[in-house]
Amino acid sequence: MRPLLALVLLLQAFHIDLAHATERYLELVVTQPYLEMHSGPGRGFPVVYVVGRDELVTVLYSRTEWYKVRAPHGQEGWVRRADLALTTLASGEPAPIPPYPDFSTHRWEVGAGYGVYNRQNLVTAYADFSITDSIDAEFVVEQALGTLDNRYIASFGLRHTFVPEWKWFSPTAGIGTAYQYIEDKVPPAPLDKSNQMAYASLGARGFITRRFMWRADWRHYVVFNNLNVSEELEEWKLGFAVFF
Amino acid sequence: METRLCSVFLAAALLSGCSWFHRGEKAPTPVVADEPQGEPTVIEPQVNRREVKTPKIKAKDFELGAYFGALSVEDFGTNPIYGIRAAYHVSEDIFLEGFLGRSKAGQSSLEETFPQITVVSNSGRQFTYYDLDVGYNVLPGEIFLGRGHAFNSALYVTVGIGDVKFADQDNFALNFGVGSRILITDWLALHMDVRDHVFESDLFGVDKNVHNIEATLGLTTFF
Repeated sequence: MRPLLALVLLLQAFHIDLAHATERYLELVVTQPYLEMHSGPGRGFPVVYVVGRDELVTVLYSRTEWYKVRAPHGQEGWVRRADLALTTLASGEPAPIPPYPDFSTHRWEVGAGYGVYNRQNLVTAYADFSITDSIDAEFVVEQALGTLDNRYIASFGLRHTFVPEWKWFSPTAGIGTAYQYIEDKVPPAPLDKSNQMAYASLGARGFITRRFMWRADWRHYVVFNNLNVSEELEEWKLGFAVFF
Repeated sequence: METRLCSVFLAAALLSGCSWFHRGEKAPTPVVADEPQGEPTVIEPQVNRREVKTPKIKAKDFELGAYFGALSVEDFGTNPIYGIRAAYHVSEDIFLEGFLGRSKAGQSSLEETFPQITVVSNSGRQFTYYDLDVGYNVLPGEIFLGRGHAFNSALYVTVGIGDVKFADQDNFALNFGVGSRILITDWLALHMDVRDHVFESDLFGVDKNVHNIEATLGLTTFF
C-alpha cells in the first residue's frame, strides 16, 4: 500500500510540475483587426482559423519564421512571424519577438562547405566567434580525400573582415595555425604522419537570407616538417553558414 | 431717485464686501513641504513590486532521428543500412542536414562466380559514410488519410558532400537525394528517402563512378 501511495504522490507531484510548466507560455493580445492561423508552418498552408482583435493567443513555440499559437478556444495553428510581431503583451508593450541577428554584428556562425586542398577534394566544417565586428576567431575541421592519401586538418585562426557593413560581398583576410594528420592509401608511407602548419588566408563573405550566409576562402599553408625542404600547400573552399 | 441711490450703495457695499473677503491675502506662493534641516526623508512605497518575467518562446528548429533501409552497393548487392540524421531548419524552405550511416556490402558477382577471388577483405565490406547536405523543401503540402486526418508534409531534395569508407578506403562522395517528410505530430516526423552516394572507385581495375543508392525509412523528432 505504501509504495502505491508514494507512486501516486510522485505522479501527482510530476503532474503538478507539468501543469506548472505548461503555464509558462507567452500570451499576446491581437491588436490588428484579425490574426490568421495557418494549418502548417509555410506560406502555402491554408488559413484554418482567425483570431479577432483584443483576443489573447498563447504562443507555444516557433519553427523557422512561423509560430505555433493557441487561440482562446483551444484551436491551434501557425502564425507568420511578421503578423505575430504586430501583437502586444497584456501591458500594451510590443510582443517580444526576437529580431533576426544583424548580419554585420552577429556573434556566432556555424557552417560547412566544399573545397580543394593540395589538389584533393575537401569537406570542411567550421565554427566562428566574433570578437569584435571586424575580427573573429575561427575553428575549422576538414577532411581532404585524395587518391594517394587522406588528410585530417584542424585549424584555429583569426580573421579580419575589412568592411563588416558590406552585406552582399565583404572581403576578409586571416592568419592562423593548423595541424594535419596524413593517412596514406598507397605505399610508400609519408615521412611525416602529422605536421604543424601555419596559414595566411584571403576570402569573402556575404549575406543570403535571414540567418543564412556564404563564405569563400583561399589559404596558403606553410608545412613545418622534419625534412630540410620547405613544403607549401594551397586550399580554397566555398561554404554556407548559419549565423546567430 | 431713492432706488437709484440704494442700488449705488448696494454696489459699493458689495464691492467693499468682496475686498473684505480678499483682505490680508497675499500673492499665491508655491506649496513647499516643511523639510527638517539636515537629513532629507525619502518616502519608501509600501508596495511589493511584482517581478514580471515574459516567458521566452522556444524555437524548435532542430531535427534529430534515425533511419533504416536498404543500400545497394554497386557490384556488391543490396544490404540493410541504418544511420542517424540531424537537421537544422534555417527557413521554411532551406535546411542543413548531416547523416551518419553504416552498412555491410555483400559479395560481388565476380566473387560469386569465382569463389577463390577476393576483391574486398571481410573487414573492408563495411560501408560507412557521413554526409553534409543542403536541403530544399520543393513541394510542401498536406497528405490526407481518409476524411478525418491531414498531415503536413514536404517533398524535399538534398545535395551534399561527404566521405564513404568502403574497401578500407575513404572516398570523397557526392550525395543526391529526394525525400518526403510527413509530420505525424508537430514534433514527430516520418521520413522516406532515396539517396545516391556517388564516388570514384577502381576496385575492378578501372576508374569509374559508382552509384550506391539507398532507400530508407526514418523517424525524427523536432526540438
